[in-house]
Amino acid sequence: MGDKNPLHGLTPALALALAFTIVLDTLAQLLWKHAVEGLPDNAPLQAILLAVFSQPWFAVVICLFLVQLWNWLGVLKHADLSFAQPITSISYLTVSVASWWLFGEAIGPVKTTGILLILAGVWLTSQGPRSTQADSEPPR
Amino acid sequence: MSSMELGIGLVLICALIEGFAQVCLKKSSMLVAGKLAWIGMGVGFFCVEALLYSIALQWLDISVAYPLGAASFLAVSGFSRWLLKESLDARRIAGLGLIVLGCAMVASQG
Repeated sequence: MGDKNPLHGLTPALALALAFTIVLDTLAQLLWKHAVEGLPDNAPLQAILLAVFSQPWFAVVICLFLVQLWNWLGVLKHADLSFAQPITSISYLTVSVASWWLFGEAIGPVKTTGILLILAGVWLTSQGPRSTQADSEPPR
Repeated sequence: MSSMELGIGLVLICALIEGFAQVCLKKSSMLVAGKLAWIGMGVGFFCVEALLYSIALQWLDISVAYPLGAASFLAVSGFSRWLLKESLDARRIAGLGLIVLGCAMVASQG
């Protein structure tokens, strides 16, 4: 079960895994966008599907998601979801900044404020009481 | 309807699918029998979601599509309340309100 004070459980390994989550999220989104740019525009579904399977970047993205899944399950083994989720939602910021830097996407004050509100919202929703019982307790 | 609006609509549909897929995974963790069927269903929904999100990414900036995906928090909360009878406290509802507001601001910049 989680510690009363979640920071007590923050080992260097967990901090590294959380940072890795953000890096993987960011990398996967950027590569996904890059892969999609190579797809035919307004093509029939079969043509798009065929292009997906012949585009190596999609395979890289899928591999990144598998690594992400493995890393995330490791994070959840050592941290509460309510502690881990707000931290990893920082990737909303890193993805946007990276997309501005690499793809030249426009990031104005409205978009920035929106992203910050989403971060605050994720933080709020992930706090609060949990009702699911721990695995060690038998379900009623 | 512009392709940008279509993209935003697709990401919101993805958020709905994500909510349902998460409920499937949670269901699988609560059951002893039929675990695999729920996991299979959850993974299936994730695959459909990935396909739709790929189409949306053709039309949208990722700095719009990715934050907008946070709408899935709303879908997860809604479906958990409806199908799993989980409770929603005031704090969580306030958080969801902020997410909706943030998503609306991000979408307006699409």
